Amino acid sequence: MPDKTSNGVQCHEFDTLLSDALDGVLTGVQLDAFHAHTRTCSVCGPLFAEVQAGRNWLKDLTEVEPPASLVTNILASTTGVDTQRLRVNVSASQGASSFSPSWWERAQAHISGAIQPIWGTVRQPRFAMSFGMAFFSLSVALSVLGVKPADLRSISLRPAAIRHTYYNTQARVVRYYENIRFVYEVESRVRELKRNVVPAEAAPAGEKKDHKNDTTQQPEQKQDRNYSQNDTHLILACAPLGPSVFDSLNHDPLNQDSLNLDQRDQDPLNQDLPVVSVTTYRRFV
Amino acid sequence: MEDVQVVAMLVRRCVAGDAAAWEEIVQTYNRRIYNICYRFAGSADDAEDLAQEVFIKMYRTLASYDSSKGAFVTWVTTITRNLLVDHFRKTKQDRITDSLDAATSAHEDALPLSEQIQDQSAPPDARVRSREVGETVHAALARLSPELREAVILRDLQDLDYREIATVLKVPEGTVKSRINRGRAELARLLQRTYRQVM
Ligand SMILES: [Zn+2]
Repeated sequence: MPDKTSNGVQCHEFDTLLSDALDGVLTGVQLDAFHAHTRTCSVCGPLFAEVQAGRNWLKDLTEVEPPASLVTNILASTTGVDTQRLRVNVSASQGASSFSPSWWERAQAHISGAIQPIWGTVRQPRFAMSFGMAFFSLSVALSVLGVKPADLRSISLRPAAIRHTYYNTQARVVRYYENIRFVYEVESRVRELKRNVVPAEAAPAGEKKDHKNDTTQQPEQKQDRNYSQNDTHLILACAPLGPSVFDSLNHDPLNQDSLNLDQRDQDPLNQDLPVVSVTTYRRFV
Repeated sequence: MEDVQVVAMLVRRCVAGDAAAWEEIVQTYNRRIYNICYRFAGSADDAEDLAQEVFIKMYRTLASYDSSKGAFVTWVTTITRNLLVDHFRKTKQDRITDSLDAATSAHEDALPLSEQIQDQSAPPDARVRSREVGETVHAALARLSPELREAVILRDLQDLDYREIATVLKVPEGTVKSRINRGRAELARLLQRTYRQVM
């Protein structure tokens, strides 16, 4: 918009004056100056006509009636209430029915009216999910602790009985924990024994490769596939590119050998070191 | 347009879990919200879904309404507008092709709009005619850019004042006035083209 002044009105302030003029706020000398500018300015004149016309067109847009089901749906999706009372309201407003609710329906509406704030919240998917998960966790915890639903019936709520139940449960948890600890201890002892026996036989350096068949190395290989993009993966990914791929694949066993050599280089002194530590080290190299 | 005390009380009752208070809010504002959604989104089905979404959001955030910070109607309109913006962004991809089609035809001969005014030679009764005009204006409104459309809807259809609109749109009042005027002018241009075609 060219910023020229005509009749004391600048084009850049025309926008504001335009709104005021159409709203009937502009009066007296200001209004006269505005109209004078409108008549003489080749930019603001047509703009004023268009804005005025647009505003008149919009007057043709009367309010539309929302669908009759809107309120019912809103209440059903917020408070969770889809009561007979509301249905009656809707049908009455439509003049479609002269049906009046029975005392039972009114009671239902009343009761659900009382619990609806809570129920509405619970019905929301995220809350329902949380409640579901909480219930699931609780039932898992209870079944681990050995609590059966049938037991609940015979629960006594006397303070002494509650104390008794509490100590009983505690003892059961401690016993469970001790059992697990025992199993782990036995397992680690067995592993230690194995480790002490195997390296004694595998002492000669040339036979170090046999470690490959050691099951303790399998997790390590698996980790490599998951956490790093090693050469093998890259080669397979570009397999269709050319014959060199097959050469590379043939080299694969050699790669494995070199890996094992690496391992040997890294712990030449203490062969009793757990294999896992080697793995970890190599991954950082 | 609203008694601040009455509305604040209604909101408090509602937050406290009074279902009747919530129903009153829904009854009072559903028409207004539905109309904003209908004029902005263009279709009655979308408007119904959107209005329902607005009330769900309102219901969840009602406790955050602070009557000292502004009128309830401004708060409600802000929620509505924000949801409409989200809806617009979500469906933007669909509309890009639509608006391209519309733009092409607008440059050619504005057919989509003029097609909606049927048989001008045999004038039907005034009510039908006014309904047809209304539909034409509604269709033209849908062609405005969302910024101009929302400004025009809030001012000319919802009768909000500039300050309220500025709060809802989070822009200065000057920008609001400018958008309203540009929206009206653009609408007039679209409709003039249409009617020149027909008449
Ligand atoms: Zn000018």
